[in-house]
Amino acid sequence: MSGVQLKNIRKSFGALEIIKGIDLEIAPGEFTVFVGPSGCGKSTLLRMIAGLEDVTSGALTIGGRDVTDREPSERGIAMVFQSYALYPHMTVAENIGFGLSLARRPKAEIDAKVNAAADALQLTHLLDRKPKALSGGQRQRVAIGRAIVRNPQVFLFDEPLSNLDASLRAQMRLEIADLHARLKTTMIYVTHDQVEAMTMADKIVVLNGGKIEQVGSPMALYDRPATPFVAGFIGSPRMNLYQGAFAERAGCRTYGIRPEHITLSETDGRWPGTVRHIERLGADALVYLDVEEAGPMVARSEGHAPVAIGQRLWASPIAGHEHRFEI
Amino acid sequence: MTRTRRATTGIIALALAGIIFVIPFVFIGLQAGKSRTEAAMLAFSLPKAWLFWDNFVAVVTARDYQLLLAFFNSSLITVLSVAALVVLSAMVGYVMQRRPSAVTGLAQIFLLVGLMMPPAVVPTIGLLQSIGLFKTMTGMILIQIAYNLSFSTMLYRAFIATIPRDLDEAARIDGAKPRQIFFRVILPLLKPVTVTNIVVQSIAIFNDFTGPLYYLPGRDNVTVQLTLYNFQSAYATQYNLLFMNILLVTIPPLIVFIFFNRQIVAGMTAGAVKG
Repeated sequence: MSGVQLKNIRKSFGALEIIKGIDLEIAPGEFTVFVGPSGCGKSTLLRMIAGLEDVTSGALTIGGRDVTDREPSERGIAMVFQSYALYPHMTVAENIGFGLSLARRPKAEIDAKVNAAADALQLTHLLDRKPKALSGGQRQRVAIGRAIVRNPQVFLFDEPLSNLDASLRAQMRLEIADLHARLKTTMIYVTHDQVEAMTMADKIVVLNGGKIEQVGSPMALYDRPATPFVAGFIGSPRMNLYQGAFAERAGCRTYGIRPEHITLSETDGRWPGTVRHIERLGADALVYLDVEEAGPMVARSEGHAPVAIGQRLWASPIAGHEHRFEI
Repeated sequence: MTRTRRATTGIIALALAGIIFVIPFVFIGLQAGKSRTEAAMLAFSLPKAWLFWDNFVAVVTARDYQLLLAFFNSSLITVLSVAALVVLSAMVGYVMQRRPSAVTGLAQIFLLVGLMMPPAVVPTIGLLQSIGLFKTMTGMILIQIAYNLSFSTMLYRAFIATIPRDLDEAARIDGAKPRQIFFRVILPLLKPVTVTNIVVQSIAIFNDFTGPLYYLPGRDNVTVQLTLYNFQSAYATQYNLLFMNILLVTIPPLIVFIFFNRQIVAGMTAGAVKG
């Protein structure tokens, strides 16, 4: 097990700076998730850790060893790609064992390691198939198997679940979490999906515009977002954020309140408004209000809440859950 | 469109294609079976007496079995130049597609020049003579490679563009050196386009008439297309033997085409839609 340290890492493509100085310490065995909107540089940062992109300036150490200028294969990393990147002309067994066969390991050793990985991922019955004949989830497992046999110090995942359908995604999320619990290896996981970030991470790194916005545990980011950007990004449905006169009356530049921290009443409350739309999700319902002094506001309510479109309601924040930002 | 109308248009199309493609071939076959005087009339008619075998023997034995030597020479040129073309242009195409730089930009211009500029025969002969490759098989093979390298490289480069770069990167992480990435990951995936390339190039090179005519003169260097001159002269052309010769020379490319027809189309359209 080894940690990863990034010291003032920068990346430019010509005059365009993509990564604008990142300092980050990832502890050994930690499951770290890089999250952010598209174009924030999270994949580039991961590819720099992998060695697929050159580091323009800064230093990168893995397990205490400076690997800034090392080849990817010498960094002790393994990577799972969004597209899986399985070799189409090789069987599952050959795909998993490719790295070992390149290293000219004896055939018996390759077979043993491939079988062990396949066993752990329930791929044994698929070893002779080509990737073409596998489902999305199975392909993903093969890609993970290929990473496991390298016995890496750090696993890198680049949006591995974004090509899967919703139910399979939930299942694979669980499998990757299990894998982490079993191997206890450092893992770095890139996603734009805040649900994946919240459910899997020990530590979330929120990136925006090539810079770190905030680092912390999922609940710390949820409870105490440092910036309106993090507040809007973490949590689903997203936090209601207001600027201008409404925020000034609340005594700040930006005022935020999460939908689940709003109570609705038919008789009285802080903000009067009209119901524009209701989304009933089963266990709970999302009520879209037009609040007179603030504008649109989303509130989370109980699934059978007796509200109707056009109804007049009063929304009130739950004390202690309001967020006030000075930016 | 109703079924009968669809069938009618189909039949008309087939009949037209038949006239354009099959009639000339039938004509060759008929001429090849006639006697010398009868063939000289160049009529589209059945021969009075079938002299197919006699003509065949006459063509094969002409000039001390020259046709067999020609087949050997043509096959040698075709096999060696196509083999070199496949290996060279796949590697060049890979580098040009994967590593865009000033150098590959310049190479791109040369490729286009190679496609667009007609080869200049006299200077080429002068060059060949000065380096001692004129009238040699080696010289002819190198010329065939040079003539076809542009097209072949473009074909590979376009195909390699459809192979995701993730594969190269996954192999790199697995510890593959650039050479291993090419030979163990990329090259096996080039099979469809390689089949296309082999078929298209070998037919073109096997059928090349002007190349050997200019650069490979000499009795011992004869190639199949040049044997057609054997039965043609200013005063008397033996049409029956000429057409028999055409028939024999056409057969190898035809066989290649019939067998690989499907793969050619597959290679040409590969990557056109996501598989």
